[in-house]
Order: sequence, then C-alpha cells, then structure tokens
Amino acid sequence: MDSRAPGPGAGRRAPENAHDRIPDPGSRSPQVAEVQAPARPPQHPKYPWPEKPRLIGTRISRLDGPLKVSGRAKYSYDIARPGMLYGRILRSPHAHARLKSIDAAAAEKAPGVKALLITIKPGDKILYPGEEIGALAAATEQQAADALRLIKLEWDVLPALATVEQAMRPEAPQVFTPANTRRGTAQEDGDLAAGFTAAAHIVEGTYSTQVQTHTSLETHGSVCEWNGDNLTAWVSTQAVHGTREGFAAGLKIPQANVRVITEFMGGGFGSKFGPDIQGLLCARVAKAANAPVKMMLDRKEEHLVTGNRPSAFARVRAGVAADGKLTAFDAQTWGTGGAGAGSDYPLPYIYTFPNRRRTHTDVYINAGQQRAMRAPGHPQGCFVTEVLMDELADRIRMDPMEFRIRNLPAPGPNAMWAKYFPMGAERINWKSRHVTGDPAPGPIKRGLGCSANRWGGAGQGARAHCEITADGSVVMRCGTQDIGTGNRTIMAMVVAETLGLEVSQVTIEIGDSNHPFAPGSGGSTTAAAVMPAMRVTAGKARDALFERMAPQLGVPIEQISIGVGTVVVSPSTRDSLPDGPAAARSGQPPASRSISWRDACRLLGTVPVSVDGQWERGLSAGGTSGVQFAEVEVDIETGITKVKKIVCVQDCGLIVDLKTAETQCYGGIISGLNYAVFEERILDRNTANMVNPNMEWYHMAGPSDIPEIDVVLVDQPERGVIGIGEPPAVATAAAVANAIRNATGVTLRSIPITPDKLLAELQRAGGTN
Amino acid sequence: MKAFAYVNAANEKEAIAALSPSARAGQRDALTAARSGQPSSVPISGGMDLLGLMKDYIVSPDRVVSIKGLDQSIAGADGGLRVGAAAKLADLAEHAQVRKLYPALATAADSVGTPQIRNMGTVGGNIMQRPRCWYFRNEEFNCLKKGGSRCFAVEGENQFHAIFGDGPCHIVHPSSLAVPVIAYGGRFRVAGPNGSRDIDAGEFFQMPNTNLYGESVLQPNEIITHVILPAPGQRSAGYEVRFKQSHDWPLAMASVNLVMSGPTVKSARIVMGAVAPVPWRVPAAERVLAGKTITEAVAVEAATAALAGAKPMSGNAYKIQIAKTAVKRAILKAAGA
Amino acid sequence: MPVTLTINGQRHQLRVEPRVTLLDAMRTRLDITGPKRVCDRGACGACTVIIDGRTYYSCSMLAVEAQGRNIRTVEGLTPIDSATGATSRAGGVAQGKLHPVQQAFCDHDGLMCGFCTPGFVMSTVALLEKNPNPTAEQAKRALDGNLCRCGTNIGVLKAALSAKGVVRG
Repeated sequence: MDSRAPGPGAGRRAPENAHDRIPDPGSRSPQVAEVQAPARPPQHPKYPWPEKPRLIGTRISRLDGPLKVSGRAKYSYDIARPGMLYGRILRSPHAHARLKSIDAAAAEKAPGVKALLITIKPGDKILYPGEEIGALAAATEQQAADALRLIKLEWDVLPALATVEQAMRPEAPQVFTPANTRRGTAQEDGDLAAGFTAAAHIVEGTYSTQVQTHTSLETHGSVCEWNGDNLTAWVSTQAVHGTREGFAAGLKIPQANVRVITEFMGGGFGSKFGPDIQGLLCARVAKAANAPVKMMLDRKEEHLVTGNRPSAFARVRAGVAADGKLTAFDAQTWGTGGAGAGSDYPLPYIYTFPNRRRTHTDVYINAGQQRAMRAPGHPQGCFVTEVLMDELADRIRMDPMEFRIRNLPAPGPNAMWAKYFPMGAERINWKSRHVTGDPAPGPIKRGLGCSANRWGGAGQGARAHCEITADGSVVMRCGTQDIGTGNRTIMAMVVAETLGLEVSQVTIEIGDSNHPFAPGSGGSTTAAAVMPAMRVTAGKARDALFERMAPQLGVPIEQISIGVGTVVVSPSTRDSLPDGPAAARSGQPPASRSISWRDACRLLGTVPVSVDGQWERGLSAGGTSGVQFAEVEVDIETGITKVKKIVCVQDCGLIVDLKTAETQCYGGIISGLNYAVFEERILDRNTANMVNPNMEWYHMAGPSDIPEIDVVLVDQPERGVIGIGEPPAVATAAAVANAIRNATGVTLRSIPITPDKLLAELQRAGGTN
Repeated sequence: MKAFAYVNAANEKEAIAALSPSARAGQRDALTAARSGQPSSVPISGGMDLLGLMKDYIVSPDRVVSIKGLDQSIAGADGGLRVGAAAKLADLAEHAQVRKLYPALATAADSVGTPQIRNMGTVGGNIMQRPRCWYFRNEEFNCLKKGGSRCFAVEGENQFHAIFGDGPCHIVHPSSLAVPVIAYGGRFRVAGPNGSRDIDAGEFFQMPNTNLYGESVLQPNEIITHVILPAPGQRSAGYEVRFKQSHDWPLAMASVNLVMSGPTVKSARIVMGAVAPVPWRVPAAERVLAGKTITEAVAVEAATAALAGAKPMSGNAYKIQIAKTAVKRAILKAAGA
Repeated sequence: MPVTLTINGQRHQLRVEPRVTLLDAMRTRLDITGPKRVCDRGACGACTVIIDGRTYYSCSMLAVEAQGRNIRTVEGLTPIDSATGATSRAGGVAQGKLHPVQQAFCDHDGLMCGFCTPGFVMSTVALLEKNPNPTAEQAKRALDGNLCRCGTNIGVLKAALSAKGVVRG
C-alpha cells in the first residue's frame, strides 16, 4: 500500500461522499432527449444558408477517417499517462441484498494497490447487480483485479424482482418505495365510447418489446489526473461540458478546476452524458493515490450498469371504421427501466386516433437503470402502433400502406409521410406484395412490411470561437464532440463553405471543455445546435476579416466578398457607372479583382481575427419524418428470419454531408434490425442476474446478417439543419415485424422475433410443415 | 484471471508430465481438484476457450501447459483420415480431401465461430472445449457443474439448453466437430502417462450423471493427439441451424453418414449436436433409413424418429422442430436430393 | 517472464506475467492502441491482428504464446513518417499514405465512431491478401468475426469489395 494513499477508512469517514443508494436516474446521468422547434423557421437575416452551396450537400469523406483507419486516433481507453494506475470497481454480485460485513484489509495490502475506497457500509442495501460499492487502483490491471477479489463481503440476500410480471404481482415483496409500480394518470382525448361504437372492427392484443443495452464498443470510463486541485479527465462521453459539470458537482470542486477531454469516443447511443459513478470513483482514487488512474469498465459491467432501453408492454384495444378511418385507441401500458427508473414512451405513434385513452405504469425491477437510447421511446411506440396498424388493415382488407396514408396527421414540412410512402413502395416493389401469408409452396416464405417514424432533432445553445491568422489558418473551437456521427466533418464543411475554402484548410478543435460551451450530443441535437454556430461564427469571422481589409485596400466593406479560395473585391457602384471616372478612362466596365485567401489574410499582420459566435435562430429547425420498408425471408421450418432488404426514405432538413448522413441511416437501420430480431438483455428470472452480459449471447447482427439497405435522403434546404442520428433507428423493427407477418401469416406482437416465438406462433396457426 | 505458471512443453511426453497431478505437491489435493473440475494444471493449445474460462474465473489453474508442439497434419491414413489435434479448424475446413470425402466434417469445421476462431482454434481444442451454458460461464451462478447444488437452467433461462438427457445438468455439448466425428465412426487417439490409446468417439463423451464436472473420459493428465476416421460412407452431409448467420452457436445440427448399396441405404449413422450434454446419436432414426431409398417422406420419418425421445425444458421445446429440420435436411443433403 | 514480440517488423522485449494477453501487452506496455479491447472474449473482433498471414483475436492469445510469430497490427499498414509525425489534431495521416484498404474505408465511409474500425480493416486486409476479388458473400463471411455497433457495415462491405492493389500475402 502506498503510504500516501489513505486507507479504506477514509471512504468510511466521508459520508458526504458515500455512494447515493436512492435510485435517481436524473442525477446519475443527465439525459438529452428529443427537442422540438418550429418546422420551418424564417431565414437568418444575416447569415442564411447559401442558395447555391459549393460544399454543403456534397459527399465529403470524414476528416478523422485517416486517423481512425490507421489506429492512431486516441480514445479515452487508449490514453496513457506517466505513472498511470489502473482502477477497478467493487460491485454487488446480487440483485437485492443488505450488506452484513465487509473486510478489505487483504486487498489494501495486496501487491500494487495504491488506493482503496469503500462507499458502502454494513446495513446498506443494494438494488441491482453490479451496483457500485467501492473502487481501488493498482499498478497493473492484473493487480487491481486480484485485489478486488480479496475483498470479503457478507450479504443478506433479499428477494429480488427479475421481471415485470414478478414486480406487478399483488403478493410481490415490496422492494421499492413507495411501491414496485408507479401508475401515471390517464391521457384522454375525444370520446372513447363513441369511437368504439363507430368501429366496424376491433383489434385487441398485448404487444411487447425487450430491454436492450447500448453496448457501446468503447466502454464507459475515464483517465483522471490531478494537478493539485485541478482535474483533467479523458472521458468517453457524449458531453464534455455536461461531464465537467458532473465532476464538479460530484467532487464538490469548482467547474473552473475541471477539464474534460474527449477527442474520440467509441459510441454512446445516449448512455454517456456525465462522469457517472465510475468517473467520480476514478477521480477519487486518483486523488487518493496521487497518481493518474485509468478506469474503464469491462463488457459485463457495461451491460449491467450503464443504461438500457426500457421494455414496453401495451394491452391495446383499437377500432377501425368500415371506410378505413381509425376510430378509437385504448391502452394500458407498462414497462421497466430497472431499479426506480421510468419507462414511458409515445403511444399511439403518428397515426390519428380521434378518440383515445392511455395509462402508463412504470414497473421497477432489480436491474440496472435505463438511460436515453437512440430515439428514446420511439421504437417502442412505433412497434406497438405499426403492428397494430397491419392487423387493422387486414380486418378491413385494405393495403396497409394505403391504410396508413388514410390515417396520417395533416402534412407539413415535418410530416411528409404521405409523399414518402409511395417513394419507398416503388423501391421495395410494394406492388409485388401478396396479402398476409405467402402462398408460395416450400418452407421459405417472403414478405414485405412498412412503417413510419418521426423525431424532433432540433438543437440550440452551441457557442464557438473562430480565429483567422495572417498565414491563412482558420481554427474553429467548439466544446462539442464527435460521437461517430461526423460532426467534425460537417463543422469543417460549414466553415469552409462560409469562408470559400476547402475542408482541409479548416482546423476544427472539439472535444474539450476548455472550448466554448456546446450541449451534449443526444437527441440528434448536435448538428442543429452546432451548424448554426459554425455558420454564424464563421460569418462573423469573415466580416471581421473584411473590416480589417477594407481600410488597407481602400474600399468600403460592402465591396468585399468571398470567392473560392479567394477574397473578391468588386468595383464600387460609382466606378461601374458608365459615366464614372474609371469607365471614362478605359471605356470598359471595371472588373472585380480576386485576392488569394493567403494574401488577404496576410493583411491581418500579427493580430488575428478572433471572434465568438453562437447558435442563432433561422438556421435550424425541428421535426423529421421518414418511412421504411422491409423485405424478409422466413424459414418456417426453423423460425429463422433473414432480412433481405430495407428501404428508407428520410428527411433531415438541410443535408450538410450526404455521405455521413447516409451512413447515419445505415447505422440506425442496423440498430433497428438488431432490435427486431436479435438483441435482448436476458435476466435470470430467479436471481435477476443477467445471463448474457457479453457479445456472444447478447446477439447483434454481424456482417452476414446485414441486408441490402437502400437509403433515399430527402433534402429540405429551406428548413435549415435538423439532426438525423436517431430518426432512422425508429421504424426498422416495426417494418421487419410486419414483413414477417406478411410472410408467415402469423402475428408476432413481441420483439425480438426469435425462432422460439415464431415457431410457437406457427404451430398455433397449424403447423410448420 | 488468476496468475499461473507457464510451461512450454516441447513434446507430448513433457506435456503429459507437466499435466500429471503427481508432478505437484499433494497428490490427493490435486486429484480432488481435478474431480471437481478444477485441475491444477491445464493444457493450452489455441487458447480461445481456456482464456475465456480463466478470465471469467470458471477455471483457475496454477499452471498452464502449452501443447502447441502436437501434430497438426491432416492426411489420409489406412483408407481413412488422420487429423492431428493441433490442426487448425481453418485448415480442416479448407482441406480439399476432407471437403470431398468428409463433407460433414468440413461443414462443421467451417461453421465454427468466426474466421479468427477458426484460425486460432484447434481440432483438439474444439473437442475439449467446455460448455457455453450461460450459468456455467457466469461466476455469479454456482451451478451443479461448478460444485453447486442446482442447475439454474431448470427453472431459469433454458432456451439454448438440452432437449435430451435427464440432467441433472442440462448443458448442450459445445463441440461441432464431435458430431461428424461420431457420425463417421471416428476415434480419438489419447496420450497419457501410460502411453497412447484409442477411444471410440461415441464412447468418449460422458453424460452429467456419470461425470458432472467434466464432459469426457479424458483425465486431466491426458491429451488428445489425433482424430482418426475410417473410410466414410458413400454419402454424407452435415446441416446446422443457427440464429445469427454470422458468429453464433448452432441451435441444432446434424451429421449423416450413409453406407449405400446402389440407391438404397445399407446402413446409416445420424448424430445431432447442440441438443444434449453429449453429441446425440439416434439409432432409431438410423433404423428408419436402413434399406430405404431416401425421399423427403423417408427423411421426415427419420427426423421424427430422431426427436421422438426429446424431453424439452420449460423454454426450449422449439428446438425439437429445429433439430428435426436439421436431421431432415442433413439426410436430404447427403442423399443429394 | 521475459517475452520477445515481433510486431510490425519491430522486435520488442518486455517482461510480462504469463497471464497477460497479447492485446493487453501491446496496449499497456507498447502503446500499440490500434487493436481495441471491447468484449475481451473473442466475440467482437476489435482486437484483430494478423499473425503469420491469418487473423487472430489478440485478446484471446497470451503474449507469451505470440513469441516468434510475425504480428501485424493496423499501425503497421501505414508506417509513421517520423519527420512529419502523424497524429496532429486536425488531419494526421496524409491521405496518400494510407493502405488501399484504409483508403477504401475512408472513401466509402466504412467507419463511424471508429472503435471497431482497426479490427475490420485488418480482417479486410487478410481477406484481400488471400483473395483480391471476393464476392459480397465471401467478403461478409471473411468479416463475420467482427462486430460494429454504429452500423457501418454497408460502408465496410463497399470498401472490402472496392479496395484494389492489395498485395497478395
């Protein structure tokens, strides 16, 4: 044990730092959710988007691509600091238990151990497997792991709730206070009784979706290094500023003392918005050990404690009139976001049910808490509603796409489904669709399905700083981060567009809380928050450059404009008049002249242009719409589904980089495919321990499982920038489920659609062969 | 992973000496440990499976003995085939003679894991790998196989567990190669302190009621050195049903080896994988084929017979249908129908 | 114990415990951080390296067992020009210096967060060194040992099918 490090007693003596055992997802991980804004704002008066852009809307390769493909991009996981130790977290092996005793003496003395911190005391309760109860740091990873196993814990294991069914039973043990469930108030609209009276057909059913975990490839974690009272933390986060705030609050130090750096990060999907407990523990053991500490979670911890998408259940009764108009929707819904966390989701989704009622109940179980996950709530609501829509369409014998179009809300810039459905239908060859149940002989059944999605995708609040130096360099600094979306690249495109440069001439510095504030990257808000800041800040920098140039060139600022790699000085209005002095001399109208960017900047001398700017109205909007179609093949003798093709028609306002925007769609669709057929967090029903906390039994599509994907991005330049990270992830699962239903003739109201569920339904429907 | 000593065995003999309990202090302790599935010394070849087990603290040996020096050749021998235990799965899968004469074996080798696993994993390692049962592999569950008092799968999550065998442990055997090896009537050449012996592959694997802590008759100080196959029947094939088409384990698989007399099956061997704690040979299905010409109806009849004795658990009855399909399709594939 | 590893043509001598994997030895002792630790159980492929011409999961091999072998990591595809350095904040490795597979990944946007990318690149290199003109099915199968969570698979496949000029291994 290092003599400088306080022993475990230090942790026990510091109750103010003790781990908070009252579940409160809000305080543990601030989440960025869907943000709405006007669908079509008036144009920005001063720096509107260019009418004929040179770069915006083209295909630009990622600027950080070369660093990433060559393995030289340094992620938080890759950071090594001189004298760095390795941290591990002590966690509960149980789902629900009370600590009887703890003995960390052997661990404290174990080889290489430099600091040890216990944040639980006898009598305290834990509420889910993996809950954090201490941490240590040692010279090597192996020593840290060895020491952790020397800590002796005795528990009173208490009854645990592993499923929503268990938690909702009247005789269930009361694990959560005040109750295992929290019933919300009913949301009602219209006259439900009249709606059902008007219905020609009524469908009733219970729909369900699973819990999925984010499974970011880079696990959560950080490297924390103290310099006196100042903390530098390299964190795998979607929010460098939010994480700075989280460290300051959690460690009770000023934000000014904290610097958070995230140059590259390996995926977050909504789960990485703060230091989290592991970040605070890392900082605390680093302080105690007086050395930098790297504390990255392992895969199992990642599955257990870093968030998940809540499950959703819906007992639905819905009516449709003979003319194909929806009349009524009545739903009891519930779901679990784990130990004390919510599970609500939008329902019904998109389509207009004039009379409706819905009551949601949060159910708590002894499992890690949910966090925002790629379009939180929407895939659940979409799945329930869209499968129901196909069932209703069959009742009135109407083409399901036609039926959807008939029941859409009024069209608008953010509600374009009526236009997109036929576009997608064309590309999936919808007219080849058979009615429910492939009549072809043989075990392989083919089917088509469709669904729709919406998302907000607005953003605001980003700030930036731009410098133009005499050598022509342009540096844009912004405290945003690139979580894999291509943020760095589209930032450079907007700046380059505004200054008439190529993207390679622009340096973008992000991922550092010392840069001007920008919000966290969640809710598909980043592009809509940051691109306006880029446009405004680059525009202001351009104007400042012109202001400095004008007196030196002896022309009014109005005569200076941006060319391509140049600054253009136009002749004055007076000069260009036929009777003006210049014309009089030459007999020709005077030409404008171009000054190279480099020469123009040289006029700045030693004092660079240095301006601040921020997000302003008129350059971004909110509200996207999209549709997806799926084509599947189901082997009804094995219950195995192969998704053959997905068609996606999606808008996101003004498209900045067509290449990375398409990639966002591919990525969203693949995540939706996983949700449809593969992924599921499986808890042992008797202990609530997760049985598949790995990447083997936690199934995710690999290369041979990926279908053909056809993406049609609809550009809406008049609306400004809107985020696209989440919208394409919403509709895939429902489209796949409907295609499976169309192929097999059986209705699966539960995802993932695994062979066991499908074969059971097929058998119920009359055998598989 | 617990710390261990590393021994690089230059040859078979050194390996066996290093693996022998007598080489360690306290023979009785060592034997006890071996019986409980915790031998003090373990062999490492490709390492894929062993490292996972050690990282998850499922096995924590004091020393690890490298047996990379074993034979890795694949060659015809005595009218059949001899495969060195150290042969890589990728080499077996791509071996022209194996693909031609033992297609069920080539298919099985080619379906294991991923390219990386096939590049690293050896034939011997595939046969000796430990079960993938998620209760066995999770330290939190002190299951029967680890010396605990219950099989958590019985009342738990058993969708990927056995549909044959009466427990008390309900793993499915993880080796894909073992299934065709038994179908081809193969045997394992085993080296131990007392020299070398051949064991019929069909008698190599043990049910949990015989051997709860291991899966085979192999002793901790023995190693497989070769897989030996006799000449195959005129027609053979394997078929595997998996959930994911990329990296995944079979939900069920079947290997079929047919000795033909003209268009008629003279005798058949049918073995299913991923359905029982050992590769599951189904004589009832074999009898259905004997004397018949293969048709779809005959294949269905045999497949039905193969699954007749299945006793599914609470959540895996669907595997009966899948295994049935695997058997049917393997038969039809073998027959070229 | 003393271990000698030959990585990207360079010999490295280090002392590690026998239980240290090749991946961890490279990452924590040699600052070779292109190979990533993601699942640490041979299921995701982010740690993929090429050893003697074949792809391996470096997380599932002991460092001591990798002695005497020719180990290639993603870093070895683009040797750093020591004069210019290669890890500047803005751009780094010059486009012209990339290996054809790396260039194809950039051109076809076969990457997002980039954490799986080194593994996918190495699996693609190993494929193309063996089979320079794979079909889509062959390419998918060759990459089946790698997982991506962002969903870059479409770009990765395009890259694998379009990369030209890979020297047969």
